[in-house]
Amino acid sequence: MKTKKFIFNKLIEITILFFIILTILFFLFRAAPGDPITRMVDPNLTPEDIQHLIAQMGLDQPAWKQYIIYIKNFFTGNLGHSFHYGAPVSSIILNRMPCTILLFTTSTLLAAFVGVFLGKIAAWKKGSRLDNFLSIGALLCHTLFIPWFALLVLWILAYKVGWFPLGGIISPELWIWDTSIFIKVLDVLHHMFLPLLTLFIIHLGSYLLLMRSSMLGVIKEEYIITARAKGLSDKVIRDKHAARNAALPVITSVGLSLAFSINGGALTEQIFTWPGIGRELIFAVSNNDYPLAQACFLLITAVVLIANLIVDLLYAYMDPRIKY
Amino acid sequence: MKNTKNRPENKNHYVERFTKGWAIYIKNPMGKAGLIILLIFMLMAIASFFVPLLGPVYDPMTGADPNITYSTGPSFQHWLGTDFIGRDLFVQLLEGAKVAFIVGLSCAFISVVLGTAIGMISGYAGGIIDTLLMRVADIFMVLPSLVILLILASLWELSIWVIIFIIAIMRWPSVSRIIRSQTLSLKSRPFIEASRVAGASNFRIIFKHIMPNVLPLAFLYMTFRVTSAILVEAALSFLGFGDPGQVSWGMMLQWVWSSGHMFQAPYWLLPPGICISLLTLSFYMLGRAMDEVLDPRLRKEGEGE
Amino acid sequence: MALLRVENLSVGYKSKHGLIHAVNNISFSIEKGRSLGFVGESGCGKTTLGMTLMGLLPENASILQGDIFFNDDNLAGFNDEKWRTFRGKEISMIFQAAMNALNPVIRVDEQIAEVIAIHNPQMPRTQVFDQVKKIFDLVEIPEDRLRDFPHQYSGGMKQRAIIAMALACAPKLIIADEPTTALDVIVQDQILKEIKKIQTALNTSLIFISHDIAVVADVCRDICVMYGGQIVEKGNREEVFQSPRHPYTRSLLESFLTLDSNGDIKVPEIRESPDLITITGGCSFAASCKKKCEKCENRNPGWVNLSSTHQALCFEEVIHKD
Ligand SMILES: Nc1ncnc2c1ncn2[C@@H]1O[C@H](COP(=O)(O)OP(=O)(O)OP(=O)(O)O)[C@@H](O)[C@H]1O
Ligand SMILES: [Mg+2]
Repeated sequence: MKTKKFIFNKLIEITILFFIILTILFFLFRAAPGDPITRMVDPNLTPEDIQHLIAQMGLDQPAWKQYIIYIKNFFTGNLGHSFHYGAPVSSIILNRMPCTILLFTTSTLLAAFVGVFLGKIAAWKKGSRLDNFLSIGALLCHTLFIPWFALLVLWILAYKVGWFPLGGIISPELWIWDTSIFIKVLDVLHHMFLPLLTLFIIHLGSYLLLMRSSMLGVIKEEYIITARAKGLSDKVIRDKHAARNAALPVITSVGLSLAFSINGGALTEQIFTWPGIGRELIFAVSNNDYPLAQACFLLITAVVLIANLIVDLLYAYMDPRIKY
Repeated sequence: MKNTKNRPENKNHYVERFTKGWAIYIKNPMGKAGLIILLIFMLMAIASFFVPLLGPVYDPMTGADPNITYSTGPSFQHWLGTDFIGRDLFVQLLEGAKVAFIVGLSCAFISVVLGTAIGMISGYAGGIIDTLLMRVADIFMVLPSLVILLILASLWELSIWVIIFIIAIMRWPSVSRIIRSQTLSLKSRPFIEASRVAGASNFRIIFKHIMPNVLPLAFLYMTFRVTSAILVEAALSFLGFGDPGQVSWGMMLQWVWSSGHMFQAPYWLLPPGICISLLTLSFYMLGRAMDEVLDPRLRKEGEGE
Repeated sequence: MALLRVENLSVGYKSKHGLIHAVNNISFSIEKGRSLGFVGESGCGKTTLGMTLMGLLPENASILQGDIFFNDDNLAGFNDEKWRTFRGKEISMIFQAAMNALNPVIRVDEQIAEVIAIHNPQMPRTQVFDQVKKIFDLVEIPEDRLRDFPHQYSGGMKQRAIIAMALACAPKLIIADEPTTALDVIVQDQILKEIKKIQTALNTSLIFISHDIAVVADVCRDICVMYGGQIVEKGNREEVFQSPRHPYTRSLLESFLTLDSNGDIKVPEIRESPDLITITGGCSFAASCKKKCEKCENRNPGWVNLSSTHQALCFEEVIHKD
């Protein structure tokens, strides 16, 4: 019951936050130099269409009315018309969304699990060769410059060795004919491998380092000595007693570093031409496709906020001391 | 925080504290390595000021070797080779070091000053002010800075200083949080209580008593802020939205990528990326070692106070 | 035959100043079903002794000499695997910092069940939890609190849960290291009663460690007084508590706050704690001893028999000088 209330409160909080961001964005777009009509409406459309769009967005109305129409439009899913694609923005971003979610969640979860696992081992064998190797490796991963690393991966594994495609999410020739779903899945995985690897390695380092230092703190706790006094095996003490406590701060930091992961995600999508939201945003910004850019931005913000909520819930689930 | 217990009374105290800290710092291999790498980059940044002496051909932005019309590999005239219009890559690399330092340090400085001020006010004032400020901090904390910069770059042409300022604005909250909790714990210490009873003004208490005690921590956070600022600026330049009038490492990577040389010219692709990663690494190591100076609990057993 | 027999045990910690002789040439034994108390000031090596008996010394510590016989096994020669099957089953320990001894993210019943499960691999889960219920009954924790997490317990309940954990496998020996230090007086009293009741009910042996000689005398039949890593006096509680003979034991008993003839509080003298690193000849208590003579400074004292059960590590002349 309490959990429901917590989720409800959080959702309200997120809505308010989102509203604030929406408002700021509105004023930013009005405050920028130039005419909002040319910015928001594709000049290549027919005059009737232009008139129609202007009316729809209320661009001929006073500012406060524009704002109300803007909010109304947003909540009815009417985000404007993309210049480049000549299609409603909402349909474009809904198309991109699954690709981003797929890449982003897979890489984050994989990196978190492997990072926590390796960090746990490194801390348990502190000072050993394995620990030194893992810590130094993690440190290097952690400080890599993402786009550069992505380019290296692309250069070596796609261009030189040729094991993986240079970009995209599918090979079109496979999708024309009636190929089996199995082949299609394999094809997507084949395309996804390099961007996934890039994001995985980059996030792995920070999770490993975090888990390691958190675990080193936990090992000194009294309840670990208690566990040893019970005659439990090393592995049970490490996995059941130490790691579960040590993972808690790591979960918090997943939430805090989401913004950072989104940055990395956008860069990776761009380099591997992965058709996700991040790449679409960069594309829209480069081509002055303002409605599209705005929509991508709002969507990313929404994803970050919701992901934060999920992390909060996960933390509450893992730490019995916290009950909402 | 053993050190913060005694109030800094005079200059000697600072000197003593510094030499003590330095002794611990220099024993840390990570800190030493970080410092050495950092010094090399500093030399590079300084060297970039002397490049104009070589003549206009070596200007990182506008100079181009008239004999070269395509990208060439390392040679005697151009140690790292040239880009596709004959500009010297080594000179660009030096210029990049300078820009990275400017971006990193000024960004870190602004965000740490901002974060420290807000954190101290928030912790000291408490109540509604505290709640409000920390809520705002929450908002900033969840927003992806690169995405924000991108959307702003679509509306305005951003100069390097504007970029620095925006990154700094995005980065203060985490500093604030730490400083706030430090301030909260200081607030309840007897010596602050005593000076309040003695009639010191809030302003005086903050500047005389709280500030000197949170400054070391703020300084530590500065090193971590430096790296994130450098990375964000480089990423923005890489995507082509950096200051078009300023060569930087990110921009070099943008050029090698967009001109289609990335599979042909490793001499061009590798150095900027290595530099960015190494510089971040060195600041990170610096921060870690400083962490150890400031937090006695992190020190290895038997190393003492 | 004694259940536990410790002979000439010395334990040292490596530190940057040198080797700390935390336990120095200690010998004692305890019979089945008996209780033995260790008392001494902070830093005299009580916890180190307990940890040695559990095989839980930190990495920088090592047994310098001596043997620990438990029934027929010599614990000093145990390897990790042997210790693992031994701990919790034959000897268990109640720790000093009891408030943090429970894992915050695991339910209390599970934390107790796992001791039983690890030492009885064949036992089915349901039977394990039946056993847990029985033990909770014994330490008087209501059954509906079984599934709680530690943070939902009060300090006293946590301590009971920890005692329950130590009892779980009906060990032959329980070591209690200041089990009540963090509790208020009333709860402390309840817990001590609990410990005494259980110890007699289950007929286990008990080693009880405390800095408070009154508490030790309340719980234990026999008492060892420790100073600077050594046992300086041992005997049954009447002998040690009522007619102490070693100067240190006397000063320990005097160090309760008392009123002098004018009705003012007499503050006990503050002694320097002994140097455990440089071991010189002579009695380690000599520097603070009120009755010391020349001999004390350069010759090692020996055991003086005062009765068949009562001994003190001192010189005849000093003991009989009054
Ligand atoms: N991990 C360690 N490393 C180095 N020295 C230690 C360590 N643990 C204890 N010592 C030293 O060993 C001596 C005995 O410590 P011990 O903890 O056994 O004392 P104690 O009698 O239990 O004291 P207290 O009543 O305060 O619990 C002390 O001088 C202490 O400083
Ligand atoms: Mg102790």
